Amino acid sequence: MRRHGAILTRVTAIEDAGAGVKRFTLQDPEGWALPPARPGGHVDLFLPGGLTRTYSLCGDPARGDRYVIAVKREAEGRGGSAYLHDQVEVGDEIQVGLPRGGVPLGPGFHLFVAGGIGVTPFLSAAAALLAQGRRDFRLHVLSRGAPPLGDQIAPLMDAGLARLHDTARTVRPAVADLLAALPEGASAACCGPAPLLADFGAATDHWPAERVHLELFVPPPLVPDPDARAYKLVLARTGVEIDVPAGAGMAQALASVGVEVPVSCGGGICGTCAVTYLEGTPLHRDRCLSQTERASKLMPCVAQSAGARLVLDL
Amino acid sequence: MLSLQPTIEATATAFAGVVRHLHITARAFLPMRAMDEVHLIPGKGIEGDRYMIGREEGFYSDRPEDGRQVTLFEIETLEALRRDHKITLKPEDHRRNVTVEGVPLNHLVGRRFWLGETLLEATRLSVPCRHIEEITGQAIFDPLINRSGLNCRILEGGTVRVGDLVRNA
Repeated sequence: MRRHGAILTRVTAIEDAGAGVKRFTLQDPEGWALPPARPGGHVDLFLPGGLTRTYSLCGDPARGDRYVIAVKREAEGRGGSAYLHDQVEVGDEIQVGLPRGGVPLGPGFHLFVAGGIGVTPFLSAAAALLAQGRRDFRLHVLSRGAPPLGDQIAPLMDAGLARLHDTARTVRPAVADLLAALPEGASAACCGPAPLLADFGAATDHWPAERVHLELFVPPPLVPDPDARAYKLVLARTGVEIDVPAGAGMAQALASVGVEVPVSCGGGICGTCAVTYLEGTPLHRDRCLSQTERASKLMPCVAQSAGARLVLDL
Repeated sequence: MLSLQPTIEATATAFAGVVRHLHITARAFLPMRAMDEVHLIPGKGIEGDRYMIGREEGFYSDRPEDGRQVTLFEIETLEALRRDHKITLKPEDHRRNVTVEGVPLNHLVGRRFWLGETLLEATRLSVPCRHIEEITGQAIFDPLINRSGLNCRILEGGTVRVGDLVRNA
């Protein structure tokens, strides 16, 4: 079933990328360009069974007709990587979300520290920098044995832009040592397992925040609303109660319990998703309802609650 | 005084416009593709576009609308966004099919007009949507209110090319 707001892609290539990793190329079924991604950005894959998994894009972001992701099969994982490794074949359709995030690539030297499969966003970032004619970056890949995506790392190593630290053979380098002797104004970014991220965080603790980037796959933060508060949303017809966190969207809260309101503009002006409320005081925030209408209606795409409880006629 | 009435009415819709850009895309979210010409099918839409009736691949296709077969946008709005809001929105960014110059789109709701050799009937003003902010990454929702383009039904089809004239029917 097509998920509203998702991009339909087709798997056009699956390659063994070493170290238990498969590389998947996703393209529009008719070869149209896909929404552009920033270097080092990531996408959500919407998999059967309601699984949503986020993967960094590891291809050249200038190739606008494809998303390339690398997936490590996690035996102890939650099922997403196993599904992709074991079930998905070339020609299958996969729905993905809009690309998000990315590694900031402002002026100045960039140091990338990757642990294993965490190399993915930096391969995309390196491609973007090289496309700009820039060689003012260095990629350190920490891997136990041969790294994944070795075919993409090798050209960077040959060019003197990447270094592999095989922790099966040598002691894992201290992050602080990798960060030593960088040019003035350099930026640093890290992606990898939690212990590496923690070491990186400690080593860059005193750095200016704008020069440090941790790739954590977190969604963009909600825009803070000083009036927002958590509240209980009650659906009068079914008795369902939803705890809505401060600042969270009402339409999304309804969707979380399977109630889809027909959100259209998403900004409180078109009037499509109007809902009747029975008790409580909404924070309306729309620009389409009259004062009279506001006595009984609200627009769940933008509305929140002024009180602790809001009852909808749903 | 009576003799003024027809003059006012004629002036309100008198215009001579030009097609500056044509864009279609196959599916919601995909970048719009610039075209030198597009083919309008009466009662359906633009060949290859996501909102062609029967194709239903657009962001709003779950809410079918007979009057959304082709959409237009004023190039003057792009200039105003740059001038008044310092926002650079390119013709491929607003996600309407036809970017016109010299056509007062907001005056045309309920009227018929020629787009090149095709005859359109304007059904309603387009409404901006947060979806476009997601795609462009720019805060353009508010500045686009009341100038987000025009939805039209295709009465007589044909080929529309960049440079075609837009005139009253």
